[in-house]
Amino acid sequence: MTDVSGGARLAAFAPVDSTARVDAVVRRLTDAIVLGLLADGEQLPSESELAAQLGVSTVTLREALMALRQQGMVETRRGRGGGSFVRVPSQAPELVDRLRAFTVEELRDLGDHYAAIAGAAARLAAQRALPEDVAPLRRTLEEMAATRDEAHLRRLHGRFHIEVAAVSQSARLTQEEIRLQADIGPLLWLAHTGEHGPTAQHRAIAEAVHRGDGERARDLAERHVLDGVEHLIELRLREP
Amino acid sequence: MGEFRTLPAGAVSDAVRGSVTVPAAGGVAAAETAGTAAGTVGEAAGTVGEIVEGVFGELHQVRDAVLATVGPAPVSGDLAGLRPLLLPRLGGLISGIGFIAAPGLLADAPWYLEWWQENPSGGPVRLVRDMDPASSAFYDYSHWDWFAGPRSGEEHTLAGPYVDFLCTDEYSLTLSVPVRREGEFIGVAAADVFVRRFEVAVLPVLRRVPGPAFLVNRQGRVVASTTARHLAGSVFRGAPGMAAHPCRDLPLALVAAQLPHVP
Repeated sequence: MTDVSGGARLAAFAPVDSTARVDAVVRRLTDAIVLGLLADGEQLPSESELAAQLGVSTVTLREALMALRQQGMVETRRGRGGGSFVRVPSQAPELVDRLRAFTVEELRDLGDHYAAIAGAAARLAAQRALPEDVAPLRRTLEEMAATRDEAHLRRLHGRFHIEVAAVSQSARLTQEEIRLQADIGPLLWLAHTGEHGPTAQHRAIAEAVHRGDGERARDLAERHVLDGVEHLIELRLREP
Repeated sequence: MGEFRTLPAGAVSDAVRGSVTVPAAGGVAAAETAGTAAGTVGEAAGTVGEIVEGVFGELHQVRDAVLATVGPAPVSGDLAGLRPLLLPRLGGLISGIGFIAAPGLLADAPWYLEWWQENPSGGPVRLVRDMDPASSAFYDYSHWDWFAGPRSGEEHTLAGPYVDFLCTDEYSLTLSVPVRREGEFIGVAAADVFVRRFEVAVLPVLRRVPGPAFLVNRQGRVVASTTARHLAGSVFRGAPGMAAHPCRDLPLALVAAQLPHVP
């Protein structure tokens, strides 16, 4: 057996998915923080408790927390009353940094993917909605109209789209919507900077779901994503 | 968000009641066959009812334990005393179980739930979340059907199926019962049942029914089915020749082909 194959063997016997596990934990917690499932200042469970909950080793969890600390999404304090705390990143400057990390082609592709998911979910939501399913959508729109807090508004925006996806009755489409919201949702919000409340598009999507008009719901949801991405691409092209 | 407001207990969904039935031609032989089949449909509905009542039975025990645990001025830590009772109930149909306090019940936490669910490898984990609606956009649980139903006086609430994007990302049912102390509502005892597990439990029963058969919740949403024409998640808005059979007193009905009238 040669050294080369020995090296390959070593690689093959490396822990199967330790990096993937770290990434999965980072992603899970990032999603939860960006979407507001974990609130600013909230204390995370102890390392051993959290590792057990997520079904990973404490070593994996520590690596993930380190990555999250570097991204500024988790803060760890030592000593009495210490622990790991959630930090919700403030938006504008960091979002622009995040936008710079994408190429135009990546944004276009992400937009295509998201439009497909959002469109399919909205179409099924309209087909499968019962009148009571529309109530939470309307409640979120009202909350959006009432709030003056931009961070809260951004979270409500994410919640609205996740709620529409959940009405589709598809767990997979909803999970994908949550993932895409975490990837691009806060960025898409850049397109609404300075606006207050829900847009006419949000209201029209809820209305199409309510009327059971699947084709219209799909068109509106796709258009909503693609308009936002187009705006993002224009912003991106202004950056170096 | 899966939000399913429930109608008064015992009602069969409007969608189901609105179904149009087309009587089939009946001869003696047909009537005899039909008589047997009618027994089968009724029995199947009863068996499904028994399966679901089994979960409600567990919830009644949780409710009694909560009442034994909660003193006159309870705090969140008191509820840890429920754990020896909750944990062994995970597994089988139940993937999550616990007590959800009415906002304001606990002196130290306005919003609180003592909720345990299975982790991917089957072990129990407690759901630890910041439940304060003031700091999170997601956790005002008072609107959810599994909470609003029991609060409004329903004895047995069956919420869903819905995509539970708060806790598990799974397509689920949530069963819940009110907990009352001297007539005052203090929270709900609830259990989650994944739709895929429910399907495994009820499909053998539904298959005993001749022809297509499926279960619908009170709103007419299909929960489990033996026909690709009416799959879980779709809304049954009535169909010619189909009739609904309530599953005991539960907000659940078995829909099957209408049989010829037996004199």
